[in-house]
Order: sequence, then structure tokens, then C-alpha cells
Amino acid sequence: MAIPVLICDDSSFARKQMARALPEGWEVEVSFACNGEEAIQAIKEGKGEIVFLDLTMPVLDGFGTLAQIKQQDLNAMVIVVSGDIQPEAHTEVMGLGAMEFIKKPASKEKVLEVLKRFGVI
Amino acid sequence: MTQTANVSITEDQRDCYQEISNVAMGQAADLLARLLGVKVILPIPVVNLIEVNELRMALSGIENSETVSGVCQGFIGNGISGEALLIFNDTSFNDISDLLKYGGVADKSLELELLMDVANILIGACLRGVGEQLDVGFSQGHPVVLGQHVNLNDLVAANNYRWTKTLAIEINYKIEGYNINCDLLLLFAEDAIEVLNRKVNYLLED
Repeated sequence: MAIPVLICDDSSFARKQMARALPEGWEVEVSFACNGEEAIQAIKEGKGEIVFLDLTMPVLDGFGTLAQIKQQDLNAMVIVVSGDIQPEAHTEVMGLGAMEFIKKPASKEKVLEVLKRFGVI
Repeated sequence: MTQTANVSITEDQRDCYQEISNVAMGQAADLLARLLGVKVILPIPVVNLIEVNELRMALSGIENSETVSGVCQGFIGNGISGEALLIFNDTSFNDISDLLKYGGVADKSLELELLMDVANILIGACLRGVGEQLDVGFSQGHPVVLGQHVNLNDLVAANNYRWTKTLAIEINYKIEGYNINCDLLLLFAEDAIEVLNRKVNYLLED
């Protein structure tokens, strides 16, 4: 069965770029969200077993989204994809329960390596 | 013949410029964060196609009442030219001086040194970031002081542009826990916008 993958970013270009970085031949059902609120909703609807999450977003940012996922005990593996590569941002999202941090723009190789490392592919 | 009068950007292109700036400013902020040992608060970059005489309005990150100091630095690569502006509110200097451990109260010449140091780091890293994504190698000219302790209108007026329109990217950096506020502006020349749009279309397509 196809794995539900959610890509959450306020930029349509960034969403497209992320979708292109997904491994070829990986059986997934990709959904998109433009902010954290939409992402939480999609996860609740079972559309985000694996979530690629941006940090800087309007309405609800990535940090807030991670906090919500934790608080509501939602079932999602979150990989943060961000241009904020400061060590502090990295530490903070890992503390909030993110599985991994990938710097933007995400490369095919990096995404594949992370997914393999966590045994989802 | 060029048709610069009709130059425009679509919403998709604007979104793409914003995302490219987002990645580039993150790289620049990381360098600054490491240099100063602080956390840089990242904004959402503002991308606009504006008339050069509206430039003052594009500087939304800095208050009118503040006196400022600023430098500009020209850049060019693969037929794309423009100018980068870095503007600090004057209250920033004491905190930067403390963070860089220059020691003592910042006088005008020390401030100039700080301004040039930070400008080199931020402008260089930002241009490198943008260039990497668009496959352009930018080279930078010498930084030029636009003014120290002047009001923002005078600072902006001090620079003469040969273009009427510009693609302006504004990035307003703040430092967590400090009174440091600076605006980084990348202004692309009117005749560079078409070239940039083509490069961005290429990214949007495949």
C-alpha cells in the first residue's frame, strides 16, 4: 500500500522542489499543505505518515506544528526541511520530536539517505 | 532594442524568488550567527518589482525616526547586475561592538569597520546562495559607504541609479536578545530581470 506523505511549505515552488526530491519508484500518496494548521488537519485525516515540514510559515510555523503533533500525540514521522541552518534551529526541532533535519533545497540523495536510515524505504 | 518598460514578474516567479532568497538568507544568517555567537531571527523575505523612486517605501524593516548607517556594493555575473545595500539602525553598533569584542565605545571609524565587516559577510553569503541556486557566479565590487548617522531618506537618496525599475529583495535581520536591526537589500538592475525570470522559469518547469 502507498505510504501517505505530506509536504508542508508556504511556497508552492518549495513544495514542488520537495516533491521532486522524493525517491523515484517509492510508492507514496503525496498531499500538500501550505501551513502548519493545514498540516495538522491532513495528519489527522491520515495523509501524513511521513511529513516534510518547513519552519518559516504563516498561520502556524514549523516549530508550532511540531509542538501540536507532540501535544495531540499524532502519528507522524516529521522530517524538517528548512533554510534556517543555524545550529540552534536544528537543536530546537530535534527537541520538539523531529526525526531529522534537512537543509534546503533538499537533494534526492539526502532524502533517500534519511529515509533508508530510518528504515522507511 | 530592449523592452524594459514592460518588465514584470508573475506570482509563481515571485514565489520562486522568495524561496531562493529564503535559502540564501539562511546561509548568510548562519555565518553571522557563528561570527557573533548569537541566534539570528529570520524573517520572510520580501520580493517586489518596484520603481527605483519607491525604494524608500521598500525599506519596511527600519523606522523613519531612526538614524542609520549604510553601505552599498555592486555585483555582476552572467549578465545579471545589481547592487546590494546593507543598512543598520545606529543603535546596533554598540551591541555589535560588544559581541565582536572590539572593546570600548564604538566611534565613527570603528563603526565603519564593523559595517564593512558585516556587509562583506552578509552580502557575500547571500549572493553566493542566490547564485548557487540560479547557477550564476556573482563577483562583487568594492563596498562604498552611503552615509553614517543620517536619516534613511538621505541615505537612499545618496545613491543614484541608472534604472527606473528594480527587482528588490528585502531581508530584515534581527538578533535575538540584542538591539541589532539591519536591512539587507538586493536590488537587481532593470535589464537583469528578464534574464532572471528566464532562469527562474527553468526552475519552475522541470
